[in-house]
Amino acid sequence: MPTLVIKLENVWKVYQLGKVELTALKGINLEVTPGAFVTIMGPSGSGKSTLLNMIGCLDVPTKGKVFLKGKDISQLSETQLSQLRGKTIGFVFQEFNLLPNLDALENVALPMVFQGASLEERIKKAKELLASVGLEERIYHQPAELSGGERQRVALARAFANDPEVVIADEPTGNLDSTTGKKIMEVLTDFHKREGKTIVVVTHDPNIASYSEEVVNIKDGQIIVNHREAAQVLWSK
Amino acid sequence: MEQIKEYFHIAVRSIKTRSLRSWLTILGIVIGVFLIISLLSLSEGIKQTINQQLRSLGGEMIFVMPGDISNIMAMFTSGTKLEKEDIEAIERTRGVETVLTMSYQSLVARHGDEGKTVFMSGLSWEKGIEIMEKFQGWSLKEGEWPTPGKRELVIGSQVETEVFEKPVKMGSEIIIKGRRFKVVGILNSLGSKQDDSSFYLDLSLYQDLTGEKRGTAQMAMVKVKDGSDVNKVAEDIKENLLETRKRRVGTDVADFSVITSEKMGDIAGSIMAVIQFAIVAFAGIAIIVGGIGIMNTMFTSVRERTREIGIMKAIGAKNSAVLTIFLIEAGIIGFLGGIGGTFLGTVLAKSIEMYGQVHPLFYFSASITPGLIIFGLVFSFVVGCLAGFFPARQAAKLRPVEALRRYE
Repeated sequence: MPTLVIKLENVWKVYQLGKVELTALKGINLEVTPGAFVTIMGPSGSGKSTLLNMIGCLDVPTKGKVFLKGKDISQLSETQLSQLRGKTIGFVFQEFNLLPNLDALENVALPMVFQGASLEERIKKAKELLASVGLEERIYHQPAELSGGERQRVALARAFANDPEVVIADEPTGNLDSTTGKKIMEVLTDFHKREGKTIVVVTHDPNIASYSEEVVNIKDGQIIVNHREAAQVLWSK
Repeated sequence: MEQIKEYFHIAVRSIKTRSLRSWLTILGIVIGVFLIISLLSLSEGIKQTINQQLRSLGGEMIFVMPGDISNIMAMFTSGTKLEKEDIEAIERTRGVETVLTMSYQSLVARHGDEGKTVFMSGLSWEKGIEIMEKFQGWSLKEGEWPTPGKRELVIGSQVETEVFEKPVKMGSEIIIKGRRFKVVGILNSLGSKQDDSSFYLDLSLYQDLTGEKRGTAQMAMVKVKDGSDVNKVAEDIKENLLETRKRRVGTDVADFSVITSEKMGDIAGSIMAVIQFAIVAFAGIAIIVGGIGIMNTMFTSVRERTREIGIMKAIGAKNSAVLTIFLIEAGIIGFLGGIGGTFLGTVLAKSIEMYGQVHPLFYFSASITPGLIIFGLVFSFVVGCLAGFFPARQAAKLRPVEALRRYE
């Protein structure tokens, strides 16, 4: 059996909001197998973003363990974790989260900078990636000069920059109209199918879920349904 | 190295994006470095000029003046003199080789139709020329030394053009108190405005003009015999003067200043040290204020870019990468401020130097050494980095998830 990309083991997350304790995750167990396309669904306030932060190793659980490629992240130093996260996980955010001062090419190349790739390598790869999302004409444009859909495509290209094993997308179409959103999902699905990459998407949009093979429903910090089996049904559409 | 280059790039972009604020912050450093560079170079220049003048005095000279050197105004305006007996007392002190007496006063001189109050120095040419040439650095630009007893004048280098409307030339006639004098020599610059705009004439003629009693003087310059201890001779002169006064007027209060040129140097040196200390202190305060400006800007920058920091960390930036980017940014601001400040400081110092040459109050050069420039640049860079350290560390320590969540 191949190593799980990400494994969550009885993960709890408790936020201290003044005197009030807010439990966002209540004993979550989740396994993301290599090559899977997982959608996490739930209403707002259900804890899905918190869960995504755990899966993306952006946050540490209050209790329980998170394994990234079999390694317990609580055992890693912050530097080791950044390095591993940068190499293993690509992020796509709802607000695109591009660096406003850098142009499209530089934004896509940035994750490679942190992995110590050479300038040549970075430019070549970033250009290829931008071309693959159909932005070869816009590589020297700054985010402010791009439309929402274009920005998200840049963000997608950036997520794939370090050839990660898993791409985590947080409401990737949330700020886009449905046509643009559909295109973005097509790019993402295409990457998944062509490269066999693992994709984890958080959304509350059932249309998005229809692209995936596995749907995890979360409510009040707990997984209520794991539609692994339902995948076939959804996918056949 | 590759990474540092890229971090540098990111830092520059970020400075450009906030250009107004960046420039204002840079301006803060510019002012500080500007003060340091201009004041230090000028004070260093003044120090060098003073040292140069003191060196030209020669190490073996003793100056005797009535009055107290620590109260210069009183000394020059008291009108007290060295009496004949005083001068004799100096002359018979052991170790004294030559005593050159001098007097000076402001008198009205006429050149053509124009009359001006000028500074006149009377000194005995016979004894004087050698000492002045050897120990005061006097030399003639034009003409020759006057013949003792003849109504001839030597003028300072500025008298030529600065004093009268009509230029004073070799052979020009100057009328002082109705007597005609001929200009026979023009001195090279002596390094101070007062000296360079003075008229020099034989002491006996001077005393005829001013009615000063023959044999007295306002000041004496003493050349010590080779091998004598200057300080010892100075002590002895003081003692002899005291005794002479006591015998003559029955008082043991003798108000004389007997100073060696070495001591003069010490006095000047300690004054300069105080001035330079004050300069460094004030400029230091300016730099600290500039540094706080950088810190403030960087803290604001970190707050504003919390999200960016979160993004960078999410896509794999290590703490050290974030720290480096912010440090580079602060360093660049400091360094740019250093360049601006060094440039403006140099320009100011050089303009004052040039102004001093055209309208001489006193001569001094601005001493701008490569060392000073490097100091200005490195110093401002270091101040930038130091001021940027805490904001940068704050940025580096941000947890990615918190950084991303903020301002959502």
